[in-house]
Amino acid sequence: MASVVEGISNELAGMVEAAGPAVVRVEGRRRLPASGIVWSDDGIVVTAHHVVERDDRIGVGLADGKQVEAELVGRDPTTDLAVLRVEGAQPSSAMSAQADDLSVGHLVLALGRPGRTVQATLGIVSALGTSWRTAAGGTIDRYLQTDVVMYPGFSGGPLVDADGKVLGLNTSALRGVSLTIPSLTVDRVVESILSHGRVQRGYLGVGVQPVNLPAGLAEELGQETGLILISVEPGSPAEAGGLTLGDTLLTVHGEPVRRLDDLLSLLSGELVGVEVLIRILRGGEPGEQKVTVGER
Amino acid sequence: MAEVIQELNSELARLSRQVHASLVRVESGRWGAGAGTIWHSEGLILTNSHVARSRRLSVTLPDGRRAPARLLARSRDLDLAALTVELSDLPTIEIGDSGRLQPGHWVMAFGHPWGVEGAATAGVVIGQGPELPDRPAFGRDWLAVGLHYRPGHSGGPLVDSSGRLVGINTIMVGPDVGLAVPVHEVKRFLKHSMQRAAA
Repeated sequence: MASVVEGISNELAGMVEAAGPAVVRVEGRRRLPASGIVWSDDGIVVTAHHVVERDDRIGVGLADGKQVEAELVGRDPTTDLAVLRVEGAQPSSAMSAQADDLSVGHLVLALGRPGRTVQATLGIVSALGTSWRTAAGGTIDRYLQTDVVMYPGFSGGPLVDADGKVLGLNTSALRGVSLTIPSLTVDRVVESILSHGRVQRGYLGVGVQPVNLPAGLAEELGQETGLILISVEPGSPAEAGGLTLGDTLLTVHGEPVRRLDDLLSLLSGELVGVEVLIRILRGGEPGEQKVTVGER
Repeated sequence: MAEVIQELNSELARLSRQVHASLVRVESGRWGAGAGTIWHSEGLILTNSHVARSRRLSVTLPDGRRAPARLLARSRDLDLAALTVELSDLPTIEIGDSGRLQPGHWVMAFGHPWGVEGAATAGVVIGQGPELPDRPAFGRDWLAVGLHYRPGHSGGPLVDSSGRLVGINTIMVGPDVGLAVPVHEVKRFLKHSMQRAAA
């Protein structure tokens, strides 16, 4: 009779076998190769931006042992994702889980293929949270931290749940811990890169710093801080819209801007080309300016 | 609640007791001590070459019996050494098939980390083969495992989910990754050195 530990052992190996065919080797840097995931049946492979150090001569090693050349479709440094196109890459049938029932404590595997064969490390989900922003300004739809070991070359490989489904793409570059970019974010970035060649981001052309608002105004707005403009780029959307140095931004497009993060979250791709109303404080007097959000 | 985990725990404990019987301590004079694995009931012990560095070797069994050991063969390339002791009826360990191990398979390692006698650590197989990121390729296989090797694990047994020997603990390559010499390389080493001894 098979014991519990044998059963678990074989199931873990089965999870690797199920997802393994979609895990590829990505050769885009001089050091050790890294990993990637075949994301869709049109040959789209996703990997980590930081492991693709060049824009051409990118090699991909498929699960069947074939070595092929990949085209770099685009990259999004803010979410540490890069999208490649590879002839003949086939996704695994056990792909992409939304993992709504994922909990802290669940067993997960990280897979990689820095060499010829697929490799795996085991861990548990350490922390789950809502959406968060990377230091480079990218939006990640869900915080997903694990204690899996990121063995050398594992960046760009998948995190796999107990069903052998892919929860997202592992990267060691965003923070000092093992983080996974959830499939939802990967889908969004892939879609954006395929249609625009990059991820669109709104742009005003200002440098800001949070400042305390006068007590009366703070109470009236229910907002203790705003963002004072410490620079306005010449020719920028902000300048064209009449914003000047020393203005304090209170709300943008109806949303309060208390911290830099608030402004960055607002400036998503959807606002590009949209004329937004910005409430400001200028010389102690409230005012309004209309600015058409640019793109960068 | 948590019945599977409880069952798992008692199985792991049983497995550990079973493997522990074949785990020895190898003392190597001024070089200190490491672990060893009983390979044959008539006194054949496997350990790492880097554990058996002294001419004055001795082996201590889990039951407290202690005997001087003689070096039969060693390979620095494979980091393996075969010792013999004048003791018989030793508890042996079932030899497993390391060639069938897949990434994700459960493994446990035993040794004396930082001098703690007979400690266990567990994890999964990361991968195996001649080319691993942390090792230069030598045309011989390594077994990379995601567990916590520490000084004192060297030479001890690495077992699969049934308690069968699949490797000899050899090197730690980071806090959470270890390398073992897979059992099929151990067999090759023994065959090679016994042939040489006979010739």
